[in-house]
Amino acid sequence: MKKWRYDSAPDLDQAPLDRLRRFPREPDMLVYGLRSICALIIRGLLRIYNRFEVTGHENLRTNRSLVIVANHCSHLDTLCLLAALPLGKLHRAFPVAASDYFFQRVPRLWAAAVLVNALPFGRHSRTRKSLTICRELLANPGTILIIFPEGTRSTTGEINEFKSGIGALVAGQDVAVVPCLIEGSFRAWPKGKRLPRPGKLRLIIGRPRSYRSRTADKVELITITNELREAVIALGKGGTRSPSALRKKMRLRRLT
Amino acid sequence: MSPQIALHDPVFRAYFVVVLVSLVAGGGVLAFVRFILKRETASMFKTYWSWVLMAGIGLIVVFLGRVPTIVGVTLLAVFAFKEFARASGLYRDWRMTGAVYAGIVTVGAASLISHPRGEEPGTGWYGFFVAMPVFAIALILLIPILQNRARGELQRMSLAIVGFIYMGWMFGHLGFLANARNAYGFVCFIIFATALCDVAAFAFGKIFGHHPLRTEISPNKTWEGALGAFCVAMILPWVLRFSFPFFETRDLILTGLIVGIGGQLGDLSISVIKRDIGTKDMAATIPGHGGILDRIDSLIYAAPLFMHMAGYYHPLR
Repeated sequence: MKKWRYDSAPDLDQAPLDRLRRFPREPDMLVYGLRSICALIIRGLLRIYNRFEVTGHENLRTNRSLVIVANHCSHLDTLCLLAALPLGKLHRAFPVAASDYFFQRVPRLWAAAVLVNALPFGRHSRTRKSLTICRELLANPGTILIIFPEGTRSTTGEINEFKSGIGALVAGQDVAVVPCLIEGSFRAWPKGKRLPRPGKLRLIIGRPRSYRSRTADKVELITITNELREAVIALGKGGTRSPSALRKKMRLRRLT
Repeated sequence: MSPQIALHDPVFRAYFVVVLVSLVAGGGVLAFVRFILKRETASMFKTYWSWVLMAGIGLIVVFLGRVPTIVGVTLLAVFAFKEFARASGLYRDWRMTGAVYAGIVTVGAASLISHPRGEEPGTGWYGFFVAMPVFAIALILLIPILQNRARGELQRMSLAIVGFIYMGWMFGHLGFLANARNAYGFVCFIIFATALCDVAAFAFGKIFGHHPLRTEISPNKTWEGALGAFCVAMILPWVLRFSFPFFETRDLILTGLIVGIGGQLGDLSISVIKRDIGTKDMAATIPGHGGILDRIDSLIYAAPLFMHMAGYYHPLR
């Protein structure tokens, strides 16, 4: 009789917590199931508690790899962006999270690795390696990276300068870059508060952009980074009206 | 089984004391080795603290009653199978793994619900529980047919069936024991006895071990350790006779044999699987013990034998 080949998991000898820290994580049916159930609950809670609404859903409909770029002032931002994705793409979506903040202590590590499927990103060290991991993921069509290029949560609600790493990631790559603006998350759950408040949340998804023809030299990177920041800011001013605002307008018109 | 009954149940209270005394005694022995004999004990202390944690969790779950015990055993079975699936590579086939998970959960459900026609509630559905392998294997065999695939399927089916029968159904007997009239005695005894035997085998092997037991399977186990554990297992039913006052001498001897031989065979049978796969431990879930499967291996073998032996001579209800 020929010997059977056993295709053991490569992280077999690692303790459960170390398994959560490593990336890419091995697919795990129980984790995927738990994540899907929690995603459904979070979606429901956001709808009810924060009256969450999305504009520009159609901009996410693609089978290509996506880089979602958004402003960041609250943990709710990640949840909002994940809630806007189709449930089937949940396990291919990786919010890029600071490894020094999310991948050290247990509760945060568990939430980051199991609930939102975060990618550990070295903010202060090993940044280049983290970018390489991101690029390798994007080479696989259907991957979604969620990036907050400000690098941390804004403490004022304003959009801070973007870090140029985002330019380095997308320059010359065949990926769709989708700028997104999240409104209301600063009021609902600012940095330093324990629990979110029931403030209204709005997500505006912009049109996908491509930086395939751009080179990756230093000047270009900064230009791309600034362009992306402008694109995110423009979503707030631009003519995209939310469904509820439209309804309010119609009601006003009927009254006058 | 419920918290109120457990508080007043002499058997449960006795086991609370027995477990506490054993842990203190174990800690004392380790402290003696560490501070008087000045030997290196760091790894043994790691194992010991895991024992303390597991004993605490086990006592709380059994104290909480029948439903938590069955749910707890089912969860353990799910995670034990998950370790097996990850070690054998079966976890890459989600339909097979899903089918086994579904089977394990159904085993738990069969222990929880009672027979739909008649019989008192809270007794488990024995017939369905015992017939579960039929349905689970039927489901597992169905999967390649539905997927129209044949290449490599025999290996997947075999792994799934072994996984379900061994980690799901046989271990599930421990949960079903919670339905017995003498639930506290049976459940506490079989868990405590197999655990103590494992420790005895380790201790006797460490002190007297010279002759390897099975060189090709588990090089660290010795005949001396196995015999020591066997002797402990043969004495234990008499020492803990209060767990089953209605047992006759014949039943006590059988209990000793099941724990003393069955428990160690369970240990060796998991070693066979590990050795063939080529891994040292199934996982690294419990510090100092390896995976969940490495811990419950002797229970998997002993619990079903014990339940059917006890049920044959003294009906569970």
